[in-house]
Amino acid sequence: MTRSRLPLLIVAIIAIAALIVPPLLPWTHSAIDWDAVRAPLFAPGHLFGTDTVGRDLLARTLVGTRVTLAVALAAALVALVIGTVWGAIAGWYGGKVDEAMMRLVDGLYALPFMFVVILLMVVFGRSIILVFIGIGAVEWLTMARVVRGQVIALKERPFVIAAEAAGAPSSRILTGHILPNVAGVALAYLLLTVPQVVMVESFLSFLGLGVQEPLTSLGILVKEGADDMDLQPHALLIPGGVLVLIIICLTIAGERLRDRLSR
Amino acid sequence: MRALLLRRLLTAIPTLLGVVILSFVLMRLAPGGPFDGERALDEDTRAALDAAYGLDLPLGEQIILYIGRILSGDFGPSLVYQDFTVSELIAQGLPNSLTIGGLALLLACTLGIGGGVWAAVRAGRWQDEAIMGTATLLTALPVFVTGPLFVLMFALGLGWLPVSGWEAGSPSHLILPVVALALPFAGAIAKLTRAGLARALNEDHVRTARARGLAERQVIARHALRPALVPVASYLGPAAAGLLTGAVIVETVFALPGLGRYFVQGALNRDYPLVLGVVTLYAGLIILFNLVADILYGWLDPRMRAE
Repeated sequence: MTRSRLPLLIVAIIAIAALIVPPLLPWTHSAIDWDAVRAPLFAPGHLFGTDTVGRDLLARTLVGTRVTLAVALAAALVALVIGTVWGAIAGWYGGKVDEAMMRLVDGLYALPFMFVVILLMVVFGRSIILVFIGIGAVEWLTMARVVRGQVIALKERPFVIAAEAAGAPSSRILTGHILPNVAGVALAYLLLTVPQVVMVESFLSFLGLGVQEPLTSLGILVKEGADDMDLQPHALLIPGGVLVLIIICLTIAGERLRDRLSR
Repeated sequence: MRALLLRRLLTAIPTLLGVVILSFVLMRLAPGGPFDGERALDEDTRAALDAAYGLDLPLGEQIILYIGRILSGDFGPSLVYQDFTVSELIAQGLPNSLTIGGLALLLACTLGIGGGVWAAVRAGRWQDEAIMGTATLLTALPVFVTGPLFVLMFALGLGWLPVSGWEAGSPSHLILPVVALALPFAGAIAKLTRAGLARALNEDHVRTARARGLAERQVIARHALRPALVPVASYLGPAAAGLLTGAVIVETVFALPGLGRYFVQGALNRDYPLVLGVVTLYAGLIILFNLVADILYGWLDPRMRAE
């Protein structure tokens, strides 16, 4: 039990640190310490050192983690809502409706979706809100497929047939009887969607197409660290390590939950 | 089988058309245009430029003209890389991107299938745990972290390989980008192979092969592996999409002259024709890969040919 909760615990610790520690630090993520440009690890006042223009890397990493996690959570929730509604309607009504709705999902699956997200960034400008709406709008496809499959399976279960026989309207059956039973699997896929989104967001930010300065994110920090890694390897290793840790922990937690529920 | 492929091919056309129209409309909805510089152009110059590039026509007319030109292989002039047409940029960059992506796919399949088979054969033992643990780790490593990390370790630290550059595709310049690009996909393929083989080993035809007294090695190689690879084949479509996007990162990190880098530059500079051309081309490539996957199904598992 303790072992299976370890991944989520690690992510929780990282998230809490990212939330509460930055205000306690002497430096903000964008403040420049002119006396300590490119400070090494464990420099006085800068635990993780500073970057090429003298900004505190501890504060930057924590704020970057906060932004990355916030974007990922928001985008995953967008994906959850769109995917659940779409999948539930397609699965519940079946027939032509189902076919048309899922044909669209199949079509969208064939898209080079990262390029579509980039296209959205180019079109609507690079704002952080659009980053997560854009990502969430693309990441809902898997959720829709999963929820649809669950709904189709649940439709034949006695308690749903009983509710139908008792004369409950479709909307009541869907919200009151079906969706609560889909929630577990949807949660597992939500956990699996978050690391996917973390990767997409960091990918975009790494290329300069995602989160914009003065705001920062793990993707931007990895990019900045990579540009300066011959002099300061830790500027790459710390944000990169946090990023990989978050992705691994959430993936493991999501896969475990999914496997347990599908048994 | 042939009917299925024909149907897939026919559904590919509206998908591709949808991509073109959607991306075209999105691009034109964008605020700001390619001629918005620091200095505002005077009315006449602007009108002349718009007319020269056909930007003054109604949107519907522009789309139809654009689709007609695409069909003849003409994606128009690049707005940022002046003196180059988009087709020329594609002709320059695509072979390099395909080299990197193709080699990475090959490496990912070799490592992934090999590792997956080994893990399935040693199911439940420490080798299985070790390989599957490594596979999970690999799928969680983004290319933009491993790429710089490899440069740090093998180029800057140990000095074994060049930091970046292309040098006409010399092998030493290719190793780091290809390995960095391949690793996440190797992990995913290993997981799929392991799961597929574990399932296939329980099937009737495998039991028959064992009952006939074949060696386990032969049972796996001749009878179990092929149907076990069906999930791997269905992963080819997403993998192709992932490799193309990953190539964008690898080309940026290692300064390789591929199409992905042109695409990022085009996106950062609102180069409509370039971005549209690359998106259309990539959508076409991904659809092509899905078709290849469909053909592979039938070859891997004869039961699917009947449907």
